[in-house]
Amino acid sequence: MLRFVVRRLLLLVPILIGLSLLIFIWIRALPGTPADALLGERATPKAVADFRQRYGLDRPLPVQYWAYVKTTASGELGTSVASHRPVTTEIRERFPATIELTGAAMLFAISFGLPLGLLAAKRYGSAVDHASLFVSLIGISVPVFFLAIILKYIFAVKLGWLPSVGRQDVLIDAKHPTNFYVLDGLVTGNWNAAWDALKHLILPAVALGSIPLAIVARITRASTLDVQNEDYVRTARAKGLPPRIVDRRHVLRNALLPVTTIIGLQFGLLLGGAVLTETVFALPGMGSWVKEAIGNHDYPVLQGGILFIAVVFVVVNLIVDITYGLINPRIRVN
Amino acid sequence: MSEAGIEIVALLEHTTPPSGLWLDALRRLKRNPGALLGLAVVAVFIIVAIFAPLIAPHQPNDQNLALVGSGCCPGPSWGHLMGVDDLGRDEFSRVAYGTRYSLVIGVVSVAVGLSFGMLLGAIAGFVGGVVDSVIMRSMDVMLAIPGLLLAIGIAAMLGPSLWHVMIAVGVANIPIFARLLRGTVLGQRESDYVLAARSVGVRKRIILSSHILPNSMSPVIVAGTLALATAIIDVAGLGFLGLGSQDPATPEWGTMLTNADLYLGTAPFLALFPGLAIVVIVLAFNLIGDGLREALDPKLRGRA
Repeated sequence: MLRFVVRRLLLLVPILIGLSLLIFIWIRALPGTPADALLGERATPKAVADFRQRYGLDRPLPVQYWAYVKTTASGELGTSVASHRPVTTEIRERFPATIELTGAAMLFAISFGLPLGLLAAKRYGSAVDHASLFVSLIGISVPVFFLAIILKYIFAVKLGWLPSVGRQDVLIDAKHPTNFYVLDGLVTGNWNAAWDALKHLILPAVALGSIPLAIVARITRASTLDVQNEDYVRTARAKGLPPRIVDRRHVLRNALLPVTTIIGLQFGLLLGGAVLTETVFALPGMGSWVKEAIGNHDYPVLQGGILFIAVVFVVVNLIVDITYGLINPRIRVN
Repeated sequence: MSEAGIEIVALLEHTTPPSGLWLDALRRLKRNPGALLGLAVVAVFIIVAIFAPLIAPHQPNDQNLALVGSGCCPGPSWGHLMGVDDLGRDEFSRVAYGTRYSLVIGVVSVAVGLSFGMLLGAIAGFVGGVVDSVIMRSMDVMLAIPGLLLAIGIAAMLGPSLWHVMIAVGVANIPIFARLLRGTVLGQRESDYVLAARSVGVRKRIILSSHILPNSMSPVIVAGTLALATAIIDVAGLGFLGLGSQDPATPEWGTMLTNADLYLGTAPFLALFPGLAIVVIVLAFNLIGDGLREALDPKLRGRA
């Protein structure tokens, strides 16, 4: 097992090097120069030259790259051009918002997708099965931002049941030690704040969770159908185990293996979809931040933000891989 | 003739006539109601796209500001089936013309992703060694950035325009196709018919192009059809974020939704119709893709 983990960790090295190179090149390929963005278009040539010298932009590219890697490795991501605040500070505020959103979306997807898939497989060919296939087809066909707009219209504009913008009502006075607003409310004993933050989370989470819901339901159904026909399940049934035990011990445990891998992959989809969901619901998370940064030519934010999201995604996949190795002894062998 | 011989002849007469993979797949696709529905919907969309000027009662950019004089926006009526947008333009005509964009968007993005992805995947799988490692590790790096975010990054680099968004979504798909094709090529490379071709001295390039690639096509076709669906969604999403066409006259559904979001309180139908149009076309491609997957699955061949 240790060898498996070490090998997976070593595979990270080329990915991280490649990622830093890709982002370094990408930033330099963006239209406009940092000097234009920071000093404005009417800066004197002297000011531009001074600026380039100050930030080391006049040095050869390999030297710049090395400097970039060194500062990034020390946890320094620069200062936002738009807000004049350190990128790391903003990440500390915005990343919890995105994690809260993607976490809630995943929770929604699993808690509905998993039972739906299981039920569909158990009643293969029944109305429930057809309904599950239909739900998963709709789930992957409705764009996240369109569903978000529709939900916002029905539940916020028309019915007024749920809030449509932001993470928390501005009138609520709440402390935010962790920046996970629901958790903050619970930790500080401010139930009102926690409940309000939770209400703000429902619509975005449902909109964003629709795709993973569809995919989790599909994969669960397919893998349960596969496992149900395995010899060991027939053996368990033949030796007279009650169906409930067979379902839980033999079918469910094995059927859930592919679902765990899918959940890791879905996390990337959620991080991408968060850009759209956060935009529709005006949530101050990583996604809306990156979107604004593109409009503002805010290079430090783009460079730091995208690198951070990519590293998080890579680490999540690593964790999923390792967990998969833990729960499925079969793949540890080779 | 011996009795056993007669039995074999009788058995042969009752089996299905010999057919190739494609004919067989087509026959099974025709029995799949979902796929047929998908094909019918796509056919309707193609007809609407071609004959948009005849179907749409107005030009997509004809403004009749008198219509929005008494507030935005008049809802659906016989004169304007899908209502009127904030600039006094007929929504139905805009959605109809938008069909042209959606189909081109899907095809262009998938063509970009598919051609480069297949090329890289085929080379990686067939050549192997260092070339394989370099190509596939670069693909891993691209996959480390969540797909939509990668597309947003590329679109930002190229500058806002509908073409650039299509290219961006296509490029973001390259690693997916490359991985897929590499996998199938690796599987085919070890098969007996490739060994046979190699042993009679067929050149490597010919083996790849006329033996391995044609036999690796079916997963690519399935993935390509499903990618049409996601590409249309992704391009609409980037259009929604304002990275698409900068010309507000362009009746592209995603861009139309950005504007509709502003008038959600008074004119929700402005969001509903372009959104539903996206859902229907994407649903159709998903149905066709699923149908093709079942039809081309060798495990299911000969059944049903």
